[in-house]
Amino acid sequence: MKNFMMIFVGKEYTDLGLSPEDMQGRMEKWFAWGSKMEKAGILRGGEALTPQIRRVTGENRTVTDLTSAEVKEIVGGYYLVEAKDFDEVQKIAEDFPDYDLGNTVEIREIMVFDK
Amino acid sequence: MNDKLVDHLFRHHSGKMVSVLTRIFGLKHLDIIEDAVQDTFIKASISWRKEIPKHPEAWLTKAAKNRVLDIFRALSTQKKYQSSIKTGTDAIAINELFLDSEIEDAQLRMIFTACHPKLDPRDRISFALKTVSGFSIKEISTALLTKEETIKKRLSRARKAIQTSDIKFHIPKGKALQQRLESVMEVLYLIFNEGFHSNTKAHLVREDLCGEAMRLCQLLLRHGHTRIPEAYALFALMCFHSARLEAKIGVNNEILDLKQQDRSLWHFPLVELGNTMMNKAVKTDTFSCYHYEAAIAAEHLRARSFEDTDWQKILQWYKALHNLQPMPIHLLTMAVICMQIKDYERSERFFQQINPEDLEQRRYLYNAAKSDFYAETNKQKSALKHLEIALANVNNTSERDYLQKKYTELLSKA
Repeated sequence: MKNFMMIFVGKEYTDLGLSPEDMQGRMEKWFAWGSKMEKAGILRGGEALTPQIRRVTGENRTVTDLTSAEVKEIVGGYYLVEAKDFDEVQKIAEDFPDYDLGNTVEIREIMVFDK
Repeated sequence: MNDKLVDHLFRHHSGKMVSVLTRIFGLKHLDIIEDAVQDTFIKASISWRKEIPKHPEAWLTKAAKNRVLDIFRALSTQKKYQSSIKTGTDAIAINELFLDSEIEDAQLRMIFTACHPKLDPRDRISFALKTVSGFSIKEISTALLTKEETIKKRLSRARKAIQTSDIKFHIPKGKALQQRLESVMEVLYLIFNEGFHSNTKAHLVREDLCGEAMRLCQLLLRHGHTRIPEAYALFALMCFHSARLEAKIGVNNEILDLKQQDRSLWHFPLVELGNTMMNKAVKTDTFSCYHYEAAIAAEHLRARSFEDTDWQKILQWYKALHNLQPMPIHLLTMAVICMQIKDYERSERFFQQINPEDLEQRRYLYNAAKSDFYAETNKQKSALKHLEIALANVNNTSERDYLQKKYTELLSKA
């Protein structure tokens, strides 16, 4: 078994101007998804990120403070899951509720050096 | 699953859910949160009528999670609320809060909130029973032998204190933690005693009170920063007392004293657990009241019969307890202990140190003990006189019956 990270990239609900009803429906799906993984015993953790961004870039270390509304997409958070391979995680990621908003799930394997 | 079990499950779950939701939305919105949790249970009891889910706890947790969104919506319509939920991934953070370890953390925060110094000490117990333990107002009033109206007032006063002093939903640190822990342990001790000494005939309520106090005390012991020797001593004390809980009630629902109890009914696994806890509790240089009270309770349990009781040892623990926390009731107890070992001179000295007025509503205990003292030293007239005073001041019916019986016996001898 390996550990994978599902990284969620896209637009924030509030930036898209979603109605409270729509948000509620989506949150329900997020909760259901989390519970499903928990029940399956594959969930190893996860974290959500706040929408403030401080970007430091370049040799001059140029600092820019941004909000989610000012960027095309933002990393919203990640889930850590245990799975056999990428295919299995891809199957898990099918339940991601926000594909229709143009949002993305990026699957990455956690590196281990003790092989 | 019968109704009683469902009730129990709801109550148990309510405290957890209210605590977790408070972590998400803050103490400011406690009213809305409690309503929402209540609503979840109403929905559950309707849908469970057809079929009870295989994992009712998981069902309730899921329902509470979905409640997050209802609360969120209810609050969004109030302009003053700044929503913290902005996107789907927030569900990840909220989801984490519903993990068992985080639920415990939330409950611990709620206990510490209930015991905040800004809350009136009398309001703390009611508030803790409501928000941490999920008791209804009616159950609290039965448990504390107090009118429902009074409980309502206490709860709203507690809520008001939380709002006006803008109490934060967290566990204090450093010196503040030590002080608040003392207040937490006192509340748990009082909740337990309400259950153990209460005269309410509702057995279930009594057991629930003791059980809740023990559960919450265990919560303290499971967390590094609240795991202190005093808490171990308090838990040991609760174990020792609960071991006798069943033996305390006679066939006619009357309360039996130590002398009358059938010692074979004592629950020994609890005694053993208490001993284990006590071993951890004594790993300190300074003993608390809970240490001494637990030592006294343990001493009673050690005696195979009432006559076997090592009264000298118990007297010694009481002296230590009284040194630490001088109280007229301890003096009275020591006077009675000296009567057990027929040291009437010493007993009299303890009696002399008591001002009966200080005992307030327990004054009748002084007169009842004094009556015993005179009866045993062959002063029947004085014995009768004191028993009359005791009878005139006792409120509790079963205790009145007990004293009345004694009075009749005394009269026949006189």
